[in-house]
Amino acid sequence: MEGESAFQSYLNGALETFGIEADEDERAVMMGVWALYEPGMELLRDTDLDAVEPEPHPDLSKAPPR
Amino acid sequence: MSGLDLPLRDQAAQIAAGELDAGELLDACLARIEERNPDLNAVVATFPDQSREMLEQAPDGPLRGVPVLIKDEWPLPWRAETVGAASVPGVTLEPGESGPYRALREAGAVIAGVANMHELGSSSTGNESLYGAAHNPWDLQRCPGGSSSGPAAAVAGGLVSGAVGADGLGSIRYPAAYCGLTGLKPTFGRSAMEGHHIANTETIVSGPLCRDAADARLLASVLFGEEIPAAEPTGLKIGAVRDPYWSDTAPGVREACEAAIEALRAEVGGEVVEVELPDLDLILPAALLVAQAEEAAHLVPSVLNGLSPELGLINRGVLKLRALLPLSMTARAFKVRAKVRRDVAALFDGIDLLAWPAVPAVAPSLTEPLIELPSGVSSADAGNARQGVIANLTGVPAISVPVLHGANGLPLGVQVVGPRHGDARLLRTARWLTERVERG
Repeated sequence: MEGESAFQSYLNGALETFGIEADEDERAVMMGVWALYEPGMELLRDTDLDAVEPEPHPDLSKAPPR
Repeated sequence: MSGLDLPLRDQAAQIAAGELDAGELLDACLARIEERNPDLNAVVATFPDQSREMLEQAPDGPLRGVPVLIKDEWPLPWRAETVGAASVPGVTLEPGESGPYRALREAGAVIAGVANMHELGSSSTGNESLYGAAHNPWDLQRCPGGSSSGPAAAVAGGLVSGAVGADGLGSIRYPAAYCGLTGLKPTFGRSAMEGHHIANTETIVSGPLCRDAADARLLASVLFGEEIPAAEPTGLKIGAVRDPYWSDTAPGVREACEAAIEALRAEVGGEVVEVELPDLDLILPAALLVAQAEEAAHLVPSVLNGLSPELGLINRGVLKLRALLPLSMTARAFKVRAKVRRDVAALFDGIDLLAWPAVPAVAPSLTEPLIELPSGVSSADAGNARQGVIANLTGVPAISVPVLHGANGLPLGVQVVGPRHGDARLLRTARWLTERVERG
């Protein structure tokens, strides 16, 4: 739709696809919160994490294996 | 001076010595709640009959006969928690014996009431709840901090000398800083948590909010089920991650916290060294996604389409947004957690503690919780979360210690982060910091 941001298009499509109802106020909140999240999410998406060893079955009460 | 105004440890000691009547103390506490709570809105439920029954049956423990409050995040045998919300999506809440309840009961404590919290624990401000906002006793028009808003407002407002809060993304440390209290986020897994509605959590812990570190040690010992030793901090090597934790703070915050840390260093010996922590900008998004994943199983259309209209608009929108975030991002967040946990563990090979301001600015207004930082105007939540979530993402302990009054005479907090199971070191450091500040 004309004038829609990429996220707005995703949001409208995803809500419809998953059958989640959201009124205009809720959509406005989602847009606003996404604006806060977006820089961090883009960084998380774009950072090269290939060399990071995952931590299987982590126990947060213990030190990680190194 | 009323016995109610004594530190938690003195209340316990005087009751044990027969110098303070526990029944009279409970009556004074309930009367104080009735008198002050209309302004503070810190307490959402009292139950004098059950409190008196707890007192009658109190065993001879370290808190025998001492009134405390518990955050509205755990069930009691006579009351289901509400988590500050009309309903918790996808979860049925019922009365029951939670871990913190059992720990308090076995210590002989008397639960005088349930303390308010930010709706669903979703903000560091405390300005939204099923019961209405809690108010900061230092300035009733300002946020008490969240999500443990009620415990902080109640202790700072003199309703009780200690309260149990919960910290999932900083929710004990922010209100402690805003209200001038000592608030400990223990090492993950050390404090009683059974009965929490997020049973699979790897981020949330129970912890104490008290007026000083000695009381926090007593209440934390009760929640740990073991006495925390009064460790001596000598020759501390304190690491400071300057940017952005120190640099992007409101005027006066950095100077106040630096003065406190320098006073501590001078008192106990040792040094302050600048240290680097890689991938700082990834910590906040990773922590948010990891925490959100713990509740994600409930975020299905049948639940989301039936959210209570009494639930706040922001939470309704955020819950629906969470359901739409790509799984790949959550998977990447867990990879970041693995890396940051190793990085933090490696950092503590060379230092004893990390320190930086617990919050980047003093408590904002309840109606418009914004803060002004060198980087620009920000929501209080964004600024606070940046300072606090690393302890939850990695499981290490952290404590907020009141250092002095900042802008408008409002309190500030310095945050000290320790290595895993360094809780005793944090509490002793907090006591040194407090004593040093009190002496000026």
